[in-house]
Amino acid sequence: MKGYVVCEASEMKPGERKLIDADGKSIGVFNVNGEYYALRNICPHQFAPLCQGKVTGYCAPSEVGTFSWQRDGEIIRCPWHAWEFDIKDGRSIFNPHRVRTKSYDVKVESREEPSVETFAAKVEGDVVVVYA
Amino acid sequence: MRIIDTDVHQSWPDPKEVYNRLPAYFRNENFTIPAGTHNNPVSVNRMDAVSPSGDPAGTNYEMMRSQHLDAFGIDAAILTGNSILGLGVHPHAEFAKAMARAYNEALLETWLSWDERFFGAMLVAPQDPVAAAAEIRKLGTHPRIVEVLMCSATRVPYGQSFYWPIYEAAQEMGLPVSVHPGTEGRGLSNGFIAGPPSTYLEWHTNLSQNYMGHVVSLACEGVFEKFPRLKFVAKEGGLAWIPGVLWRLDKNWKALRSSVPWVRRLPSEYIVDHIRFTSQPIEEPERPEHLRQLLEMIQAEKTLMFSSDYPHWDNDSPKHAFPKLPEALMERIMYKNAEETYPLAKANVSSSKEVA
Repeated sequence: MKGYVVCEASEMKPGERKLIDADGKSIGVFNVNGEYYALRNICPHQFAPLCQGKVTGYCAPSEVGTFSWQRDGEIIRCPWHAWEFDIKDGRSIFNPHRVRTKSYDVKVESREEPSVETFAAKVEGDVVVVYA
Repeated sequence: MRIIDTDVHQSWPDPKEVYNRLPAYFRNENFTIPAGTHNNPVSVNRMDAVSPSGDPAGTNYEMMRSQHLDAFGIDAAILTGNSILGLGVHPHAEFAKAMARAYNEALLETWLSWDERFFGAMLVAPQDPVAAAAEIRKLGTHPRIVEVLMCSATRVPYGQSFYWPIYEAAQEMGLPVSVHPGTEGRGLSNGFIAGPPSTYLEWHTNLSQNYMGHVVSLACEGVFEKFPRLKFVAKEGGLAWIPGVLWRLDKNWKALRSSVPWVRRLPSEYIVDHIRFTSQPIEEPERPEHLRQLLEMIQAEKTLMFSSDYPHWDNDSPKHAFPKLPEALMERIMYKNAEETYPLAKANVSSSKEVA
């Protein structure tokens, strides 16, 4: 497993996402309410770029005639065919056990500044790193 | 092998048997069932089903008994009436309700009292579901009433909550709710989605369209979540469209399920669990194995019930309609699925609950 720096933590606000190329692998990295998650940018259905779809919520199963909108901002909807996936683990909503895309660990780490002679390294902020 | 025939059309030599039971106003002011414009050029009724005394097809008990029940060894026949379903598309709901009551009364007093093999489908007027529910609770206890019947032609599809009082009452009484074609394009109904065709040939072929609409509506509106013990019987609507519509519905549900969040499983699962289809007019592909494949696709061992449609022109013979099928599957189709769908056994328990 290898770490890929995505961006400065301050560059991705809650609700935002970035796509990165991890040695040829396209990965979507999401900030969901201050927590970071990453998914393979491939829908298992017809290999569409899943992570370029709408970040949204969904209606949980409910009584007939009622709507229960939940998990707003935690669901990615594929731009092709509109299958819903949980950003946090890559599992589909309609069949979480059999239909899923790969998810990756994301960490927020201190920037590793190269030491320059006798000058003290100045840490300007944290970076988002995805391990894939 | 036992045979339960889930669609037999009986009526009376003189239509007055029903019309004379109407309240005086409707009787005297010429209210009639809406007529169709797509007349069958080869006659709706079998010419060989006219009785020796000249009674029209399906109106003479002895003829039906010898020609159909006895000839094929039919153990139970569900009577669904003839040229009466159109009450359900009449614009006048009060007339429709009165006509349904008159028909049900005639059915109980005549045909259902003539032979122990006869069971009845009670008619209700879908124009007034609350009144229909009251009729279902009133007649539903009768030992020979085993289903509720309406026309498949409608103004709005049968899943919508407008109709739910009917389903609530039917579930309570342990009766399936069934629909039967024939009145498409008449009275209040929408007819076909592409517009009225030129010929009866096209009209008859298109009858499956309404069934697609009703089946999709029943699953998506959550009827079987709301009424988990309800069975719905789609009579005479064809079979070969079922796999295509169910595949399409399931695929769309994967994308659009948030619009019907009460549909908790694949919609096709509700349909297979709750909807039963009758066999006539059985599709006849050039290669019989295609019909066998179709029966596998629609899970016929759960969903399909034999029907003859006697005495109509396109009726099916219990002996010769199907290609060679495994014995166990034939048993499911010819009687076991019907036994599990219809409360036929209540006729044997007691007659003490009979209602007038």
